[in-house]
Amino acid sequence: MTYNKTILYIVACTILFLYGTFAFSQEPETSPPSNVTAVDTPNDDGSSITVTWDTAEDSGIVGYKILRNTDAGEFEEIGEQLDADVSEYKDKEIIKGKEHAYIVRAITETEASVDSLQTEAVRATGQWFHSGKIQLFIAMIIFCGAILGSIYLSRNNQEVFVRRIPGLEAVDEAIGRATEMGRSILYVLGLGGVSGPATIASMTILGQVARRTADYETTLRVPCNDPIVLNVVREMVKASYLDEGRPDAYSEEDIFFLTDSQFAYAAGVDGMMLREKPAAIFLQGTFYAESLILAETGNSIGAIQIAGTDSEHQLPFLITACDYTLIGEELYAASAYLSKEPMQLGSLRGQDWGKVLIFLTIVFGVFLELIGVNWITTFLQRVS
Amino acid sequence: MKRQIPLILCFLFGVVMLLTQFSPHSLSQGIYEEVLNWARIITPFALVFSTITLLQTHITRIRRQTEHWQYSFLVFGGIAIMVVVGIPFGPQNPVFEWLFNNVQLPMDATMFSLLAFFIASAAYRAFRARNLEASLLLITAVIVMLGNVPVGDLIWNKLISLTPWADTYANGSSLMKQWILDNPNLSARRGIILGVSLGVISQSIRIILGIERSYLGGGD
Repeated sequence: MTYNKTILYIVACTILFLYGTFAFSQEPETSPPSNVTAVDTPNDDGSSITVTWDTAEDSGIVGYKILRNTDAGEFEEIGEQLDADVSEYKDKEIIKGKEHAYIVRAITETEASVDSLQTEAVRATGQWFHSGKIQLFIAMIIFCGAILGSIYLSRNNQEVFVRRIPGLEAVDEAIGRATEMGRSILYVLGLGGVSGPATIASMTILGQVARRTADYETTLRVPCNDPIVLNVVREMVKASYLDEGRPDAYSEEDIFFLTDSQFAYAAGVDGMMLREKPAAIFLQGTFYAESLILAETGNSIGAIQIAGTDSEHQLPFLITACDYTLIGEELYAASAYLSKEPMQLGSLRGQDWGKVLIFLTIVFGVFLELIGVNWITTFLQRVS
Repeated sequence: MKRQIPLILCFLFGVVMLLTQFSPHSLSQGIYEEVLNWARIITPFALVFSTITLLQTHITRIRRQTEHWQYSFLVFGGIAIMVVVGIPFGPQNPVFEWLFNNVQLPMDATMFSLLAFFIASAAYRAFRARNLEASLLLITAVIVMLGNVPVGDLIWNKLISLTPWADTYANGSSLMKQWILDNPNLSARRGIILGVSLGVISQSIRIILGIERSYLGGGD
């Protein structure tokens, strides 16, 4: 009996040992990546395909590799191994016009791999319209419509009221003062290039200033820091003098290139201020750290200074150191204000309608947020 | 005709470049890149022209012997040295790099450092408490300046420790500074940015439609 028990015990232990060895030598089964899809990447130029899949948690997967075939050919690995928490891959190395299918290969800790099912073959095409910019497009249409409508109405000579802008009212005063004192006028266009909106606005003001200096026979000095701006400005000022019937008063030497280096430009203009002591200084355009260096030097020589910029960081400096400052949008209104042309003034009214619209949207959005409705916020935040 | 062709080109390119911003298609982006390349091509020609005007300006100064005309020789010397060293050997040349790092950069830094003194003199004028607005500005400026330096919170915590609210209102100086920057300051900045953006749109429309044409020379 004891012998039989012993035999039974040994057999039982052997079975348990064999079962344990077998059971623990088996790897946990890794399931292949699921829900693998390949789609033409939206809102691009047709140069990529986006592959997505579901990541599996606690499955022993340490990363993924992507396999691609072209026009039903052999599958080949592309790109580097992706981390385990990645669930999207944008393939930017596709061949345009060809169909591509993908397999996502899961890699386990033991370097084993499991492949997903093959995706449908996809061909990438470029989109003509970026659907993520629909909000911007709508806003642009509305603002442009408001401005164009106002310009159209102003063609019928409807009166356009423009509030008084002291900085622009002072332009004549500044030029008159320089004329009386027999000193020059210094016009600084800032550091912006010819494509900068503030530089273009500044150049249009310069055109108006040049007309008056041509009338008063006052010297107008314009140091430039951009070669293209220099050429445009020379043409503009020359045309203004011609329009006023004073081509003889135009001096090309007074509009010159100084340097394109920021602080060298500031040093050069400061030097001009201290040597020539202009009676009026215009600082109009895009400015950076040099704004206060220029404005304080101008202030120290007692010149009347009219500044204008859209660089909101420099506005406090200019307001402090200059006699008059055109704040942001006033710089863009200057051309219309000085020329008094009805169509240009009409565009200012359109601009105001745009502001009213933004104001109403903000108020409406705040009201909706307060009552717990946030679709307007989500709609505006979706701009990509 | 001299005016009409540039106006037509301006209208066409203005509208096309605007539409390219909403179209990711390769054709649209190709046009955008191509036009930008054209703009880049103009720059080197304009730079040569500008250098000539710079030289002409200084030749005139020397010829007329205007005030401090002798410094114009320094301009010629500087241009000659940088051209002789830079053009044949490139910007990576050690001599060129030495000149840039030991001449131009220190001079730029000198001009930049002047800003500290100009800020002090401008702040003195701006913060004189002559009326209610200037007084408010002064108080706000003091809070922001104190909040920006560690000693601000140190002073605040010392003063507040004398009251029963020491724990509740610790580091109040930097908290107040942050509130001023995040609320009134940011609101004003955003207001200006909105105005500027609308101004840019309005100006662009005027230029594209040919209403604003003073950039072509003259206002008519």
